[in-house]
Amino acid sequence: MKTPEYVTPTTLREALELLSGAGGGEAVVWAGGTGLGPLLRRGLASPAVLLGLEKVGELGGVQPADGGLRLGATVRLRDLQRSPVVAARVPALADAAGRVGNVRVRSLATLGGHLCHADPAQDLPPVLVALGARVCLVSLRGTRVLPLEEFFVGPLQTVLSPEELLTEVWVPGESASRNTVYARFAPRSPEDYPTVGVAVSVRLDPDGVCQEARVAVGGAGPTVLRITAAEQALVGGVLAGQRIRDAAREVEAAVDPWDDSRGSAEYKRAMARVWTERVLQKLADEV
Amino acid sequence: MSARTVELFVNGRRVQAPVEGAEFLAEFLRERLGLAGTKVGCGIGACGLCTVWMDGQVVSSCLVPAVVAAGRHVWTVEGLTDLAEGRVTDAPPGLPSPQLVQAVQRAFVQCEGLQCGICTPGQVWAVCALLSEEPRPSEERVREFLAGNLCRCTGYQGILRAVRQASEEWAPSEDP
Ligand SMILES: Cc1cc2nc3c(=O)[nH]c(=O)nc-3n(C[C@H](O)[C@H](O)[C@H](O)COP(=O)(O)OP(=O)(O)OC[C@H]3O[C@@H](n4cnc5c(N)ncnc54)[C@H](O)[C@@H]3O)c2cc1C
Ligand code: FES
Ligand code: FES
Repeated sequence: MKTPEYVTPTTLREALELLSGAGGGEAVVWAGGTGLGPLLRRGLASPAVLLGLEKVGELGGVQPADGGLRLGATVRLRDLQRSPVVAARVPALADAAGRVGNVRVRSLATLGGHLCHADPAQDLPPVLVALGARVCLVSLRGTRVLPLEEFFVGPLQTVLSPEELLTEVWVPGESASRNTVYARFAPRSPEDYPTVGVAVSVRLDPDGVCQEARVAVGGAGPTVLRITAAEQALVGGVLAGQRIRDAAREVEAAVDPWDDSRGSAEYKRAMARVWTERVLQKLADEV
Repeated sequence: MSARTVELFVNGRRVQAPVEGAEFLAEFLRERLGLAGTKVGCGIGACGLCTVWMDGQVVSSCLVPAVVAAGRHVWTVEGLTDLAEGRVTDAPPGLPSPQLVQAVQRAFVQCEGLQCGICTPGQVWAVCALLSEEPRPSEERVREFLAGNLCRCTGYQGILRAVRQASEEWAPSEDP
């Protein structure tokens, strides 16, 4: 293959023009490169142009917004992990960002690249879906905002068109007033992708009655899965005993995993149930 | 017209070489510059053998295309002696200090932090980066930072001891 050219536009407009312009189709976005790098190395991708996002200031930054957060696409996972405002508003997100791969990956990998890579076992999609995050997709033709669960199509596939950029992620303010817990089950080694990852975000009233719940599971289907049957099983009662077990059974029934080196489909199904129970018990213990 | 020339700073010196195809920083260092201290194991960012310092942080050089490294400051194991002996002028921001590098080198030797040595260039850079960012890290932080620098010889205990010794020597605690 030819050596790709590395171009680093400094404005969003310039980046979008490069993606859709005369050389359209030639340029592939390069954020941290930790998803694309291994593909390039193995010859599974051979772009003529790598479009680096690092100098596009508009795509960076972590800002408090409406009680929640506005997260730029090029924020590094290590910065998410260490950001005081992320830790204050949605600690589960900072914690999950600190568990992705190893420190070298977290230092380069960006939030936008993480989501656009769309490996179904990734850590942040379940957390962000449980938080109710939305993503902002921009091209020269316009902007669309989607709930994150509608962004993923299948393994390594999203709704992004080639001339679109994911520019930012919004974490709504109401999520900061819920309790959110994420647990990743990584039996081979802690820096591996999880076999399953379970995130649950709940609002409990003063008596511990669950008023609202969002349940999302990674590693157990073609994309992160939001499991509304489990949410319905939780709302209206206290998080305890049978209610926890019922919700976990709904997760077990809804997931759609396959066999791979991180476990058989049967095993992942069972682990999705077990880890849902553990996450719910942790939420119950927190009140 | 497929060859491109890449220019960057390696161990404090400006270097320039042609690259071919999808050439990565690891191969650029080893094959173009003859700096074979940086090793290549997994080629997917997981093992840490190819760890180098780049613009203030440690990265896997197997995941950085040479064209993406252009213009940046990269340090490899071969640069440690110059650094330790204070021969570096114009150090880029965040580069570990000579005292820190010396403390880390000594600690690896004294604590048996290495055996065959294949992982050592990466381990040493990772430890230097950690301690220059956080001189007295907790045990948990050390483990979090070094997870993903695999070692098949030492069983890690010598490496963990070396981190504690280097930290203690470089940033002594106040306790008597
Ligand atoms: C050794 C290793 C271990 C890992 N372990 C884990 C783990 O434990 N858990 C986990 O969740 N993940 C893990 N990962 C995956 C990692 O999270 C992703 O590789 C990373 O988040 C991708 O981010 P990036 O910025 O490097 O993306 P890039 O590689 O730069 O990009 C990924 C894809 O998204 C596109 N893209 C990037 N940014 C945008 C944008 N703003 N708009 C449109 N398209 C864009 C690119 O063109 C490319 O197709 C691991 C990766 C490695 C190498
Ligand atoms: S060779 Fe680069 S991390 Fe293993
Ligand atoms: S010393 Fe041999 S692999 Fe670490």
